Amino acid sequence: MFRATQPSKRSEDQHPVRRDSDGAHLRLVDDDIYTDWESVYRDNVERLYRLMYAKVGNRPDAEDLTSEVFRTAFGPLRLASSKGEVRAYLLVTARTVLASHWRQRLGLAVTSIDPVSDLAYLAEPSAPDQPSSAPQRAGTILAALPERFRRILELRFLEACSIKEAAQAMDVSVSNAKVLQHRALQMAAKLAQDLGQ
Amino acid sequence: MTGRKLSAFIDAIVSGRRPARFSATPDDVEVLRMAIALSAERPGGAKPDEQFVSGLYEELKAQASARADPGFHPIRMTGSVARPIRMSRGRFAIAAVAAGLVLVAGTASTTEAFNHGTAAPTAVPAPHGKVLLTGTFESADHRVVGQIVAYPSRPSWVYMNVDVAHYSGRLVCMLQSDNGSTVAVGTFAVRDGIGEFSRAIPTEVGRLRGARLLTPTGSVIGSATFA
Repeated sequence: MFRATQPSKRSEDQHPVRRDSDGAHLRLVDDDIYTDWESVYRDNVERLYRLMYAKVGNRPDAEDLTSEVFRTAFGPLRLASSKGEVRAYLLVTARTVLASHWRQRLGLAVTSIDPVSDLAYLAEPSAPDQPSSAPQRAGTILAALPERFRRILELRFLEACSIKEAAQAMDVSVSNAKVLQHRALQMAAKLAQDLGQ
Repeated sequence: MTGRKLSAFIDAIVSGRRPARFSATPDDVEVLRMAIALSAERPGGAKPDEQFVSGLYEELKAQASARADPGFHPIRMTGSVARPIRMSRGRFAIAAVAAGLVLVAGTASTTEAFNHGTAAPTAVPAPHGKVLLTGTFESADHRVVGQIVAYPSRPSWVYMNVDVAHYSGRLVCMLQSDNGSTVAVGTFAVRDGIGEFSRAIPTEVGRLRGARLLTPTGSVIGSATFA
C-alpha cells in the first residue's frame, strides 16, 4: 500500500536508516531512493507537467495528462524504488497516456514520447529554469522564415494574439492572416525537419 | 471542413483552451506539431499552476487513503479481465491496475488471487536495480498499442495491457529470449480494443529481450523491446 500515513521527510531530513511500520526489518535508504508517494509526486509533478505541456502545447490538456499519469502509475504500491526506476516507469506510463490522448483527440499521433531523449525532462535538475535549447531552436526556425511568415507566427504563438489581432497588426484581412499562418506553419515544419528536429 | 477544424484547433492552443477533437489528416500533423512546439515555447507556459499541483496532490492523497482502507479492494473481476472500481476516468483504468500489480505482485499466490478474483494483491517492495523490465508495444506503423512489464520473482511475472483500436478478440503473447527463441505465454481477450493479461513465467526475466502480440491467425498487432 501507499505509505500515505507517513510524512515525507526525505528531502528535508535524510535518515540513513528507516524502520518499517511493522518493525520487521531495517533497510538503508540512500539519496537515490524514493520512500513514499509524496516524494515521487513532489519531485516529478513539475517535470511531468513540463513534458506534457511540450507535447500538447496547452495547459488544460497538460494538466489532464499529468494527472492521468500519476493516477495510472500510483497503484497500491509500497514504494522503495530508485529515482531512475520510478522516472523510467513514469515515462513509459506517460508515453501510453499521450498516445491514447492523440488517438482519441485527433485519430493520429501528433507528438509522442521517446523513452530515451525525453527522459531528460525527468532528469535532474528539475525546473522551469532548467537550461533549455528549445527557444534557441524556435529562434533558428523563425529566423529562417520570410518576414511575413515569421511575424504571423511570433504574433500568434509567442505573443498570444488572436487571429483578428494578428491580422490588424499586419494590416491584412482575417482570412489572409489564417492563410499566412497555415503556410508559415507548413514552412516552419519543413525547416524543422531539415534541421533534424 | 478539416481546414476549419484545424484552424480552430490552433486557435485553441494559442488562447490556452482545450482543443476540440476532430479527425486529422496526415497533412495536418506536421502543421499541428509545429503549432504545439511554438506554443510550448511561450515563456511561462511550462510551469504548472500551483492550484493544479496542490489539487492533484489532494486527489492522490485521497486515493492513497482509500487504498490503505482494509475494506478497499482495488480490483474486481469480470470474467478473466480485472477492472478497477475506483477510477474517475475509465480509459486508463487497466493501465492503472497494471501499474499497481507490476509493483505489488510477486508471488504465485497473488497470481492465483488475481486470476480467480479471490483477494486483492499483497504489497511487496518494488525491486531494486535494473531488474524490472518495461517495454512498449508498438504497431508496424509505430503507434503505441500497449505496455508490458516483466517482474522477477519466484516465479517471475509478466503483466501487459493493450489498447488496440477497433479490435475485439483474442491475442497471443509471445516472449523473445536472448538466444533468439520465442515462447507463447498465453492468450487473453480484448474487448473494444482494451485488454490485459498477467501470467507467471518460468523464464529468467534477465534473459528476456522482447515480446510480440499476435492475433490467432498470426498477424502481429504489436512488438515491444524490453528496456
